[in-house]
Amino acid sequence: MEDRPQHSDEPSKGDGPAHAESAPVIAPGYTIGSITDQISSIVLTRPTSRGWWIGFGIAFLIVMVLHAAIAYLLVKGVGIWGINVPVAWGFAIVNFVWWIGIGHAGTLISAILLLLHQEWRTSINRFAEAMTLFAVACAGLFPLLHMGRPWFFYWLIPYPNTMGLWPQFRSPLVWDVFAVATYFTVSLLFWYVGLIPDLATLRDRSQSRVGRVIYGILAMGWRGSARHWHRYEVAYLLMAGLATPLVVSVHTVVSFDFAIAIVPGWHSTIFPPYFVAGAIFSGFAMVLTLAIPIRAIYGLEGFITLRHLENMAKILLVTGLCVAYGYLMEAFMAFYSASKYEQFLALNRAFGPYAPFYWALLVCNVLTPQVLWFRRWRQNVGILFIVAIVVNIGMWLERFVIVMSLHRDYMPSAWGMYSPTVWDWATFIGTLGLFVALLFLFIRFLPVISIFEMRTLVPEAQVREEHGATEAGSVTGELRTT
Amino acid sequence: MSAAAELPPRPEWDRVQRTALVAGVLGLGLCVLGGLVGQALEGASNENFLRSLFGLDQFFRSYLVAYLFVLGIGLGSWVLLMVHHLTGGQWGWALRGVLRAGTHTIPLLVLLFLPLLLGLRDLYPWMRWAQEDIQESQTLQFKTLYLNAPFFLGRAFVYLAAWVGFSVVLLRWSAGLPHSPAEPEPRRLRMLSSPGLLAYGLTITFASIDWVMSIEPLWYSTIYGPLFATGQALSGMAFAIAALVGLAPPVELSAVITRKQLRDLGNLMLAFILLWTYMSFAQFLLIWSANLPEEVIWYKRRLQGGWQFVGVLLILLHFVLPFLLLLSRDVKHNPRTLATVATLILGIHLVDLYWVIVPGFFPFQDFRLHWMDPAAVVGLGGIWLAFFLRELRRQPLLPEPLLTEENHHG
Repeated sequence: MEDRPQHSDEPSKGDGPAHAESAPVIAPGYTIGSITDQISSIVLTRPTSRGWWIGFGIAFLIVMVLHAAIAYLLVKGVGIWGINVPVAWGFAIVNFVWWIGIGHAGTLISAILLLLHQEWRTSINRFAEAMTLFAVACAGLFPLLHMGRPWFFYWLIPYPNTMGLWPQFRSPLVWDVFAVATYFTVSLLFWYVGLIPDLATLRDRSQSRVGRVIYGILAMGWRGSARHWHRYEVAYLLMAGLATPLVVSVHTVVSFDFAIAIVPGWHSTIFPPYFVAGAIFSGFAMVLTLAIPIRAIYGLEGFITLRHLENMAKILLVTGLCVAYGYLMEAFMAFYSASKYEQFLALNRAFGPYAPFYWALLVCNVLTPQVLWFRRWRQNVGILFIVAIVVNIGMWLERFVIVMSLHRDYMPSAWGMYSPTVWDWATFIGTLGLFVALLFLFIRFLPVISIFEMRTLVPEAQVREEHGATEAGSVTGELRTT
Repeated sequence: MSAAAELPPRPEWDRVQRTALVAGVLGLGLCVLGGLVGQALEGASNENFLRSLFGLDQFFRSYLVAYLFVLGIGLGSWVLLMVHHLTGGQWGWALRGVLRAGTHTIPLLVLLFLPLLLGLRDLYPWMRWAQEDIQESQTLQFKTLYLNAPFFLGRAFVYLAAWVGFSVVLLRWSAGLPHSPAEPEPRRLRMLSSPGLLAYGLTITFASIDWVMSIEPLWYSTIYGPLFATGQALSGMAFAIAALVGLAPPVELSAVITRKQLRDLGNLMLAFILLWTYMSFAQFLLIWSANLPEEVIWYKRRLQGGWQFVGVLLILLHFVLPFLLLLSRDVKHNPRTLATVATLILGIHLVDLYWVIVPGFFPFQDFRLHWMDPAAVVGLGGIWLAFFLRELRRQPLLPEPLLTEENHHG
């Protein structure tokens, strides 16, 4: 275990975990060449497996279901969904918040952990970022479709027009447009910039002419000169700095969608940090859900080691506790406030018509992650996978429970029930298919793990770093190089 | 341990320690005297000026603000210590000695809490609610389920016991360990720190509700606990940085503490500033935009009668100025400037506590500052600082230099 302690021999970078006995961030024995070979072979040399075709085929069929659901929606209108008054926000907002929450891990891993000098992030950031993009794309569909006439979405954007239309800037839904659009743009740029050196590697190694041309165009003339690397690293770190506030801002604005409204159970000052913690919680759960099968199928255990899984499990545990604290505060303040509406809401959640969802969410999000207190279970891949999936379900249930606050608010005469229709389910499952299909394409055509950043982790690169201060490893270095 | 024998005598601290103790006893003594004089004047004189100058109720109000200020430093040190046991990192080694000494003061802080028990009726309106009012109002009935003297005392006992229990055991288990990452720390320190942080999170939430929020018993905000805890972590961090730079001889400091460590310390302080700002703004925006009478009254009281200028001051000095300063590398690399920023933050956090607490005692009255307010801060702060220095002498102030490869078993 201790034959290649990547961190502990560099005291100036001692921000890693205090315990030296943890597993290495890359399995021993890799060289710069073998890393490049193994990761790029998934894209370039390995034949497309039958499993890939079957998996992609199924996902593609589900995307067709999504298309059908959207087409029917456009023909008939949102009445085909189960939404009504009082529950005007049904599955659409549940799924929106769920997907956008999942989309938080990518930028957290790539930006914040980079700035915190957490080297272990290197092998998971690439596909976590890809996951982020796909999740945000799925998320963005729901508010658009929920508008009823999605082709008028641009009315949300302030632009001079003859109709004198101007968005309501006091509405957090308008803030959402800016927050999500910014997040998607910056995440996409961050992901793409991170890919450029690897795209050049693929261009150089590709056997086919088509591959060389496409990867060549995407690599934007990358030659790997010292000047390229220098500018690249400055740009990458600046983007990390820019992306960091976005991790917090997007879900903060999403929480405002609820908390600005004065609906009991929604208007709660803890919502912003509690939503951000929940987003990171669900995002890491999804990263684990994807990382565990991918590393098994493509034999990447040497890159995504137990150390990565364990660290993610710890983040899952911490953010899970934050979310549990949020539930506790909501319930406690409902009674402490002595507001009969808040009290009714708390009781209605626990014992009303949707009570089973509430208790299920507590089991999924509060009880289940507690197994991660124990190292033996954190290092058990099977248990981790199950916990991650349970947390994914639990976070979906949480959003469902929050949205269902609408069904009984102040006036009993305005109460109602919500149940999703087959079209709600078709749209939701359709986006799952879209997400998985995009992931399959990503795995097939781009390197799932950052090749050039993994190269900086092997011992050869470490030696070089000791001589030339900011050469290979300085991607994990300073924010400002001035 | 033999390490204790090698500790320098630090004669240069004697004067600070003596001054702190004298000022502390004097300040607190004056406050107690002011309180007792007020009690004696009760009924004896009707002169408003004298009555306003002295008073037991004023004593408790000033004492509460000062107490929560020093409590924040003590508990903040403990929290940062536990975080460091769990995560490691160079920043924590730089502060290890100061944070440990700060944590050592928790038993003293428990002792200093006891006088407040005599003032519960003066501090908390729910202690003064008449029985018939409670009978009539369903709201008050609900409130008194949680806000009543026996339950309050029971809870306070649990908080204080948890703080002392966890911190004393933690300090005992880590006593005599070298202040350096050369050897891995015993596993049990981590095993204790996770439940310790959990216990802190829960106890400080309810302590802040009990001791501060219930001054305005009808008001509530779910983010209150985290916001209060962030303030404590910030105080602990700012005090530790200021103490490290202020107490260590400059030569030793620059020999041991690297620029990177100083930068990390500055960045952490910046992170806490941002967290405090984020939560404060979230609470303000949500309450302002909802404009519900039972919630918005809290800000109404704090944004009139001169208090609004304190609010603006908080935005400028608790966020804008430290934020801009701590972005600069030059500020962070120079221990003096970093310590100056830390001192500023510590000071403005005291103002924050004052702004949060005092308007609750005097709803919709003008800004006021009683002579006992600064006197109580000097009193409790002085006594606490003297005790802190006494504890600091018992451990290495600075970590062991990073570059030496010596054997620490010595």
